[in-house]
Amino acid sequence: MEPLHLNRRSLLLASAALLLPLPALAEDRPAAEEVVLKWYRLILELIRHTATYSPPVASRAFAYLGVALWEGVAQSRGLTSLAGQVNSLTSPPAPPGPLDEAALVHAVLSSATAALFFNTGPTGQRAMAAMTRKLGEKVAAGLDPTLVKTSEDHGAALTAHILAWAETDGGAHIESLGFPAEWKLTDGPAHWVPTNAIRLQQTPLLPNWGTVRTFAVTGDLPCGLEPPPEYSEDPASAFFAEAIEVYDTGVSLTDEQKLIARFWSDDPMLSPTPPGHWASILIEIATRDALPVDRLADALARLGMAVADAFIVCWRVKFEVDLVRPVTYIRRLIDPKFEPLLNTPPFPEYPSGHSSQSGAAYAVLEAIFGQDFAFDDATHEADGLPVRTFPSFKAAAEEAAISRLYGGIHFRAAIENGLTQGECVAEFANRLKTL
Amino acid sequence: MKKFVLLALASTALSLPAFADGPVVPQFVEETASAGFDHTFAGEWEFVVGGGTAIFDCSGDGLPEIFVAGGTNASALFLNESSETLALRKADASGLEIDMVSGAYPLDIDADGITDLAVLRVGQSRLMKGQGDCKFTDASADWGFQAHDLWNTAFAATWEHGADWPTLAFGSYIDRTQEDFPWGNCTENLLYRGTGGKFAAPAELKPSFCTLSMLFTDWNRSGTPALRVSNDREYYKGGQEQLWHVEPGAEPVLYTEAEGWKKLKIWGMGIASRDVDGDSYPEYFLTSMADNKLQFLATPGPDAKPQYSDQAFKRGVTAHQPYTGDDKRPSTAWHAQFGDVNNDGWADLFVVKGNVWEMPDFAQEDPNNLLLGQEDGTFVESGDKAGVASMLEGRGGALVDLNGDGLQDMVVVNRNGPSQLWRNAGVAGNWVAIKPQMQGANRDAVNAWVEVRTGDRVQRQEVLIGGGQAGGILVPLHFGLGDATTAEARVIWPDGTEGDWVPVTLGQVNLVEAP
Repeated sequence: MEPLHLNRRSLLLASAALLLPLPALAEDRPAAEEVVLKWYRLILELIRHTATYSPPVASRAFAYLGVALWEGVAQSRGLTSLAGQVNSLTSPPAPPGPLDEAALVHAVLSSATAALFFNTGPTGQRAMAAMTRKLGEKVAAGLDPTLVKTSEDHGAALTAHILAWAETDGGAHIESLGFPAEWKLTDGPAHWVPTNAIRLQQTPLLPNWGTVRTFAVTGDLPCGLEPPPEYSEDPASAFFAEAIEVYDTGVSLTDEQKLIARFWSDDPMLSPTPPGHWASILIEIATRDALPVDRLADALARLGMAVADAFIVCWRVKFEVDLVRPVTYIRRLIDPKFEPLLNTPPFPEYPSGHSSQSGAAYAVLEAIFGQDFAFDDATHEADGLPVRTFPSFKAAAEEAAISRLYGGIHFRAAIENGLTQGECVAEFANRLKTL
Repeated sequence: MKKFVLLALASTALSLPAFADGPVVPQFVEETASAGFDHTFAGEWEFVVGGGTAIFDCSGDGLPEIFVAGGTNASALFLNESSETLALRKADASGLEIDMVSGAYPLDIDADGITDLAVLRVGQSRLMKGQGDCKFTDASADWGFQAHDLWNTAFAATWEHGADWPTLAFGSYIDRTQEDFPWGNCTENLLYRGTGGKFAAPAELKPSFCTLSMLFTDWNRSGTPALRVSNDREYYKGGQEQLWHVEPGAEPVLYTEAEGWKKLKIWGMGIASRDVDGDSYPEYFLTSMADNKLQFLATPGPDAKPQYSDQAFKRGVTAHQPYTGDDKRPSTAWHAQFGDVNNDGWADLFVVKGNVWEMPDFAQEDPNNLLLGQEDGTFVESGDKAGVASMLEGRGGALVDLNGDGLQDMVVVNRNGPSQLWRNAGVAGNWVAIKPQMQGANRDAVNAWVEVRTGDRVQRQEVLIGGGQAGGILVPLHFGLGDATTAEARVIWPDGTEGDWVPVTLGQVNLVEAP
């Protein structure tokens, strides 16, 4: 009997005949950066489809995923750890010996994703399990099984270290999708009241998020803001003028303004949320430019921490000022039938969260890639919105910010000061030493 | 000349309840075990939705039988042998013992006077022809029904004007081969039309957005039903709830924003319909997660646009979290149906609840809702007081009078747990049931409107095949009458012909035959 010689073609034929999955081959091994990109594409879907993932919660996940990824890559390449640089992060366990970078990255992201999205639905659970299994087989193809095991075990240990740190930040546990069972509204017309008829949203989203531990931002209440114009119902007042601007804009929107508002709407459960939108931009750039894993991990970590810090600082101010939303004010004083283009988010107005985190995101990405870095943004292409092209990160952030005016959900002060707040937050992330 | 025939079903003597202090809460007695209702809808991912029940009379005794989807278990038909208490007997070799069934809807496809069954499957759905005496055979091939291999999750039927054969809509869910990346992989919804005893090849309802409920309904009383489609935002990209023009002889066309349709994106799971406010236009209750909608036409009238205001909060039917027990996490709602369980004349709302599948952000102990309607248009929860606050993982269900006593009983199909049955033993007001019937096609007068008048007040219901969570009922339409002792009824037939108002006999089923 002749010996059986297996080659790629014979395996293909045999697998097809038997309807068996093809074994992963060494030549198909993905590089570490490919592993990262595959996981982040799944993470963007998990953000969209996990009910607790409002924008602040999503930003937190991006921060921890980014830090965990960075720590893995840093150990693999002998680069600088973030331990001691970001708040309360201690040194992660040292590698026990040689590691395979792709296997390590896969282990870090699979274990961190499983933990951060433990509460996603059955479909997300299946998708995570499938990604872990299938990508893991490809990563391990042709490698010494001992090296694979060592890398996987160390990746899991790194993730455990990061998750233990995350557990103490005050944002780990979300109840009732982030809406407290009870909430006392602040007296007076200047303050936030519920803006829709959804029963759960009669209390504001995550009112204590401003107390969550920041990542790179240090010090006591940095990145404070100028207050918004003083509340007034006087038609001659600056506050009234801001409301009139929202109203006039809302009732005369151009098609382009409507498109911009919808493009940056980034609603939770219907999109990867605002922080996911910026992560999507980075992933597209990394794919286009074949960014090496160290630069990719560095950018994901800085971006994640910056948007997370922006939401924390922003939320702190939101619940200090507790300002009424435009729809409430306009319907009461200007036009009771006013319908903003976008659904008004269920929390106070000032400053704009999207503006703040977009300010942070652009400033971080600009520090990494440069000021006049053009890119295409196809985040919502699958949802039927066109690709938009931007000449710079700042231009995208400014469009994201003004989109909230077009959408009728923010006054101008919240938009402009939100961007400024985000820029301030980004300075902290930009100071971190990595590469 | 319309004929009214008093059917032979005996009515029970009913004492009149006091309606002065809020709605009377009916008392339900669980008779799952004593009735012999031993069935489980089971399965993992592919049966995370479904679990429908179809309830209709196949024995001819006036008491409806219960067909239940089985998932990975075989589906089953339970013959109804109830008297005062509920009694069921699982049918042997009825022809409905089918694998991979997610739900079913009863209808008389071939107008032979024997109810058939559209059976939804994970795989190819089937059209089962009623042969009489609760026997069924697969008539899919004979009727030219070209089933696609899909995760079938929704169904609706109508008879278009002039048609001798029904128009069927089948809704489907996700491409089940896309294990790694199911999102954005909704499979096609299909519209089957036919004539002369055969269905033509189906038309795709593009775009399709992972549908979990469909309903042909005359939303604007134009006389031509449209197809309402509720979609699960968990899986679609760029999707929304849908309303289709389905005009005879024309391709289906979506209602557009220019026509007034406003985007709504929810975890759409079930549709229930009833004219709640008596304005002659149907309202729609849409089930979802943590947030259910009760939609009223924004500007009712002959020129109404399909724009709706959500009055769930205002009227007390958000049903967004458990109302009893210690688990206060948000709820997950599936089947919904309007009824009148206390016969007070005000529509009640039954909602089946259950966690999707160990989702920790949503209630695991999620009781079904029984929301009693009141004269002021609001509803009050009574599930716990009525004894139906089951905490199992509910999916499908039905409110239907199983023992002919004029009280609507309750069926609930749970996922990976026993199906349940409750007999309504409550004190109730007067009632009447109307069975509209036509000759030839559309014998059950689907999309006719049945109106019952007591004094100055008119209640109305549309005859519907569709909606809910993967299942529906085909029984005489039940109307509670409160303390009214006389009533009149008429039928507005699907072709728009308005029947005359004629007196009806309370406490029994009244057959109304079309000209």
